[in-house]
Amino acid sequence: MSSLNFDPLQLSIIVSALLVLVTGIYCLIYSRNIIRMIIAIEVMMKAVTLLLAFSGWLMGRIDLVQSFIITMIVIEVVVAVVAAGIALSVYRHNDTLDIDQLDELKG
Amino acid sequence: MNLPILLLLLGLMVVAAVAAVMIRSLLKSAIALAALSIVLAITLFFLGAPLAALFELSVCAGLITVIFISAISLTGNKPKEEEEEKIRERRARFLKLPIFLLIIGVFVSLAWIANGINISGISDPAAPTFQTFKNLFWNMRQVDILGQVIVILAGAFAVVVLFKERDQA
Repeated sequence: MSSLNFDPLQLSIIVSALLVLVTGIYCLIYSRNIIRMIIAIEVMMKAVTLLLAFSGWLMGRIDLVQSFIITMIVIEVVVAVVAAGIALSVYRHNDTLDIDQLDELKG
Repeated sequence: MNLPILLLLLGLMVVAAVAAVMIRSLLKSAIALAALSIVLAITLFFLGAPLAALFELSVCAGLITVIFISAISLTGNKPKEEEEEKIRERRARFLKLPIFLLIIGVFVSLAWIANGINISGISDPAAPTFQTFKNLFWNMRQVDILGQVIVILAGAFAVVVLFKERDQA
């Protein structure tokens, strides 16, 4: 491993976090279902959590980063709950979760 | 850290993320998201963040999955009523994703290796975590904790408003 001029661990973590982030962005762009869009946001947040933990591990400040991750998880849960509530209320109003059919800005 | 185990975990993470996005059934999607959370929790544990891993496991893999499953069952998961045309269109859209990911992964890896990038840092902290974490979380970030409490209360208030039954007939 010492003959390599790069750290395979750094490369694998950053590439996989990037791939998970891209998966979430792709789903957010191409999905038409509100619940699947919330799932895409969650997937993106997982990638950010991994990158945060990796940065803390790399710099030796894992305690600080742990407290950031816990704050982020709390925000993540509130976002998921509120978004699911909005999706539910959209469904009750329009009887659909397809964003292409939500084209009426009435009442 | 054991590199093969980490590589296996990271591979599982990418597979779970792609599954959460690509599976047609929303219920199975939510379960794939829970699997992604579990794999991320194990990775966090390996990176030396056991408390964050515990939170990830209990809150993200547990609570969020329950929220998603209840939202999906309340909105009615009806894949049978989807038209054949729509399903085919969706499949065509999402089949490009693995190819896209493969291209990005290979491109970034090759660029990284060609440039010999190394992020410098202290790679193996030997300091005890819990005592310092306690001090950091409860003594140095009190404003953040207050902010978290406000966010949780705002979330609870939003849920009460959103889930309220309307009086109109």
